[in-house]
Amino acid sequence: MFGIFGSGSKDAKPEVERQKYWMEGDDMIIDMSTPMVEHIHEGEDMVLNMGPQHPSTHGVLRLELLCDGEIVKKCTPHIGYLHRCFEKHAENLPYPEVIPFVDRLDYMASMNQDMAYCVAVEKMLAPELPERVEYIRVIVSELNRIASHLVALGTFGGDAGALTPFLWCFRDREKILDLFEWLSGARMLYNYIWIGGVARDLPDGWVAKTTEFLDYFEDKLKNLDQLLSFNKIFIERTANVGVIDKDKAIALGLTGPILRATGFEWDLRKNDPYSIYDKFDFDIPVGAGEYGPLGSCWERYYIRVRECRESVKILRQALPNIPDGDVMEAIPRRVKLPKGEVYVRTEAPKGELGFYIVSDGTGEPYRCKCKSPSFSHVAALDYLCRGVFVADVIVILGSMDVVLGEIDR
Amino acid sequence: MKEYFHDMWEAGRTLTLGLGITFRHLFQKTVTMQYPDEKWELPPMAKGQLHNVIEDCIGCDQCANVCPVDCIYIETIKAPADMNQSATSTGNPRRLVVLRFDIDMAKCCYCALCTVPCPTECLVMTNSYENSVYERKDLIYHYGEFSPEQAKTMKVDIEAKLAAQAAAKKEAIAAKKAAAAKAAAEKAAEEGAAAAAAAARVEDPAPRPEDPVPGIEDAKPNVDTAPDTGPKDEPGSSDDPAEGE
Repeated sequence: MFGIFGSGSKDAKPEVERQKYWMEGDDMIIDMSTPMVEHIHEGEDMVLNMGPQHPSTHGVLRLELLCDGEIVKKCTPHIGYLHRCFEKHAENLPYPEVIPFVDRLDYMASMNQDMAYCVAVEKMLAPELPERVEYIRVIVSELNRIASHLVALGTFGGDAGALTPFLWCFRDREKILDLFEWLSGARMLYNYIWIGGVARDLPDGWVAKTTEFLDYFEDKLKNLDQLLSFNKIFIERTANVGVIDKDKAIALGLTGPILRATGFEWDLRKNDPYSIYDKFDFDIPVGAGEYGPLGSCWERYYIRVRECRESVKILRQALPNIPDGDVMEAIPRRVKLPKGEVYVRTEAPKGELGFYIVSDGTGEPYRCKCKSPSFSHVAALDYLCRGVFVADVIVILGSMDVVLGEIDR
Repeated sequence: MKEYFHDMWEAGRTLTLGLGITFRHLFQKTVTMQYPDEKWELPPMAKGQLHNVIEDCIGCDQCANVCPVDCIYIETIKAPADMNQSATSTGNPRRLVVLRFDIDMAKCCYCALCTVPCPTECLVMTNSYENSVYERKDLIYHYGEFSPEQAKTMKVDIEAKLAAQAAAKKEAIAAKKAAAAKAAAEKAAEEGAAAAAAAARVEDPAPRPEDPVPGIEDAKPNVDTAPDTGPKDEPGSSDDPAEGE
């Protein structure tokens, strides 16, 4: 249940050993044309269907596993259960009206999604943004990054069999949602960051309340470390599972915490700064290999914990220094982009989130393509899951922190 | 062997550490809320149920235009000259009769984009969030002043009235034109003829074009010159939510 009776990390296969499960002539390409049943070669093999109603697939993801006893030989993710036609729908809407739909891509971090979309549109529109708007955007994005990571940490603990951290993480996330509700009126789908500004100014006392939350939250993060992160049982369960090295991670297009867990220092807030992230002093947490190899499930988990601390660091710098100004002054009455195309990538909690917008000079995008991080991550599942136990698939999937809203779009 | 016992020791130690923290939480205040009995107080700007103050609505259709999911249905018709609608509380005159103002809350995505362009600020999101209903049709909220039947008859009445007014206007214009043409012709004729006797004819009073023809209200409106029936769609068009049920 929830992977609680999984293998210990001692039994997990290192990559060299796992390679014998890669079938001949069957590369890492996900082959949807052949039914999984036809891959059965030996009598012991069987096809196991996991999801879409499985509690630890984090939404409606269906995995088709070819198993040899308890060992997974092949894993094919089937997506599309949450397809809402975002990209095509966006082509028929004026630019500002796309934002409510952008919210619904990664519904765990709507602010970051809005930010990416607005930065992309503004790159073509080039309005003069007031400094206050930039500060507010950074603050809400970082808060939402914490909220998104808290869900990832909590559910990962839940997948590994620890239910208490799950409840604690959701309790802390609730406080962030309360702040957002006060700010934007909604708890999850904010529609707060608009093209050229933000929807509302900060309410009175919001900054003080947020600072109060940061004090509270830093304490709770320490608790989380003691309760879950450095728990020996948890480390044994996760530290040697789902190992991926740096080169392979780059080749598979993994980004965000998963890439940083392999020891590769890559954060778009630093490497390709957007908004005013270059003004703040923060570090890029990379995997250090305290327990087990780099790029394991535990590293991915702990990168998120450390990223929460970095976000707190940014918030502490940004909150006292918000300049005065009118947040609505640069919002255009009608958004009409010049002809051209733009691709902007931003660092969402899950990884690199990019928007590719082609404009034909009208008020609606000609093409609006969303490069979502989870989509690339779920494609790497086949590589990560070969040769592991079925129970480890759940841990690996939990450590990837995929959100089906942005995979299916 | 040594490693085994070390692992066991570590597991015991970290587990006790974690359990100590959870034990301390036993004596802390609970964070859960017994929902139906106690309720979370929403902030003043929370996005809940959409509400329209119809007395202030001028039927400008801007909210319906900006809605990303098209869940607002507005049907308006030009107010005839003799229909005196009260002005809105912000002082805007109401030049249109809002026959229908429906919001399909089943479709609404609570983005609050519609409340922004509203010139009279009559469309607002309220704090009400417990809006479960038993039937889907109950989620279509009717904010209009008139029932659908009333609106239908009113529309026919106003259309007839407007058509009559338009016809009257057209006739008046035609009469004016005819009079002007006649006058011009006569003037030309008068100028052409030097005879003094002809000049007396000019004094003949031509029919005054400004006067509306009496009894024209009852006249059947001319189909070809039927006036524009308003900016919004025809009744019973395909995007009518009530018909889809």
